[in-house]
Amino acid sequence: MSIIDLTSMGEPQSQLRKEINDRLSKLKDEISDYCFQCAKCTSGCEAHKLLELEPHKMVALLKRGLIDEMVNSDIIWTCMSCFKCRERCPQKVAPVEILFALKNLAVASGKQIPGKYTAFLQSILSIGAIQDVQEITTKDNKTKKRSDLGLPNASKPKDLAKFQASLMKIAVEKV
Amino acid sequence: MKKKYALFTGCMMSTEQYSYELSVRESLPVLEIELVDLEGFSCCGEPMKSVNQLLMLYLSARNLAIAEKNALPIFAPCAMCHLALSECKHILENNKELKDRINGMLSAEDLNYTGSVDIVHTVDLLHDIVGLEEIKKHVKKPLTGLKFATHYGCHLIRPSEIGRPVNSENPLKMEEILRILGAEPVNYYPEKLDCCGGILQINLPESALTKTGQKLKAIQEYGFNGLVDVCPWCHRMYDAKQVKAGETVATKLEVPVFYLTQLLGLAFGIEKEKLGLDLNLSPVDKIVLKEASG
Repeated sequence: MSIIDLTSMGEPQSQLRKEINDRLSKLKDEISDYCFQCAKCTSGCEAHKLLELEPHKMVALLKRGLIDEMVNSDIIWTCMSCFKCRERCPQKVAPVEILFALKNLAVASGKQIPGKYTAFLQSILSIGAIQDVQEITTKDNKTKKRSDLGLPNASKPKDLAKFQASLMKIAVEKV
Repeated sequence: MKKKYALFTGCMMSTEQYSYELSVRESLPVLEIELVDLEGFSCCGEPMKSVNQLLMLYLSARNLAIAEKNALPIFAPCAMCHLALSECKHILENNKELKDRINGMLSAEDLNYTGSVDIVHTVDLLHDIVGLEEIKKHVKKPLTGLKFATHYGCHLIRPSEIGRPVNSENPLKMEEILRILGAEPVNYYPEKLDCCGGILQINLPESALTKTGQKLKAIQEYGFNGLVDVCPWCHRMYDAKQVKAGETVATKLEVPVFYLTQLLGLAFGIEKEKLGLDLNLSPVDKIVLKEASG
């Protein structure tokens, strides 16, 4: 098994995609009808000024069923997941959760995953953490390991084979 | 009486943000908090929420199940981990079907999730569980005259719907703790609730640094003595990446950035090295010297 299987970049997974689509339909039916486009989400959005993300428009697009268009757009990957939109919406709509679902769908549809997400995923799969234990540099340029600082070994999965097998099930058995 | 917690270090703190881990391990035992290291923990899953939300839920449930097996509450000093674990608990409380499916998979590692474990973060552990009066008893070197800005971190304060340790629009627990330590934190500044940009560092690092730079620049202009944070992702941006962040806003940034637990340790009279202060890359010496001579 490799990273390709887990993120389905090789072969788009129809079952996983169906499940995420169901999640989006549910969001569409239950949530987007409440949105009256007051744009309070966008006024507070951390990614708005810098990267032009407009959460209220994402809700409007979902309402119109333009899911593929959003999944194919880079804009969904500009969200900083600050959760201000979810916190402040007077109608309890959570644009940030819509964005998470859209990003999940993009991944399950075999779209290229941007940035270091693939490396993080690969690392979690092989050692249980997003990156391996680093040697760090102090202000006066000395290199230090965890053990140099008197820190115990970092906790990690005891039986990596079993741990990995379970993670693979999330992709293969589509939890 | 001693209170016992399983220390959930998470990825960022245990692989590079050692000053947080050092200062947590040094300063909390002073307050009769016993930290237990458990084997078997993995990533909390939060950084993977954009890739596969179910993976996040599985990883969080798995970590909670390990604590459950050892009958210990979890202390997660990272705001991201704290949110992932709390959200997992919140979602599985209301979704028995998903809980059963996750338990089906957890059984392979001989684990079972019921949802009985309490989850705490540094701020509520200090403010609500230990309490300000108890902290005050241990202050030996008050941080007199220091005006600090605080940064709580988005994941610690929102979404309040699933239960967060501090108020979402006007968090003040860190200020109260700092005041007990003798410092003079400022309750409000316009950028207080702004994001550090940490998550964006994964796929849009330039924009992430701009977010970091903008907030630090404001803090520098207001004339604060330093910034205090409680999340390894935020601290990595404000401390380790401060010089680069300064380039994005064309400013030479010189803001000392501390973990709350480092200041706690300093006020308790613990040596600088034990609190990992030589690992902070921002100019923390500006303050430490002042503190020692004052």
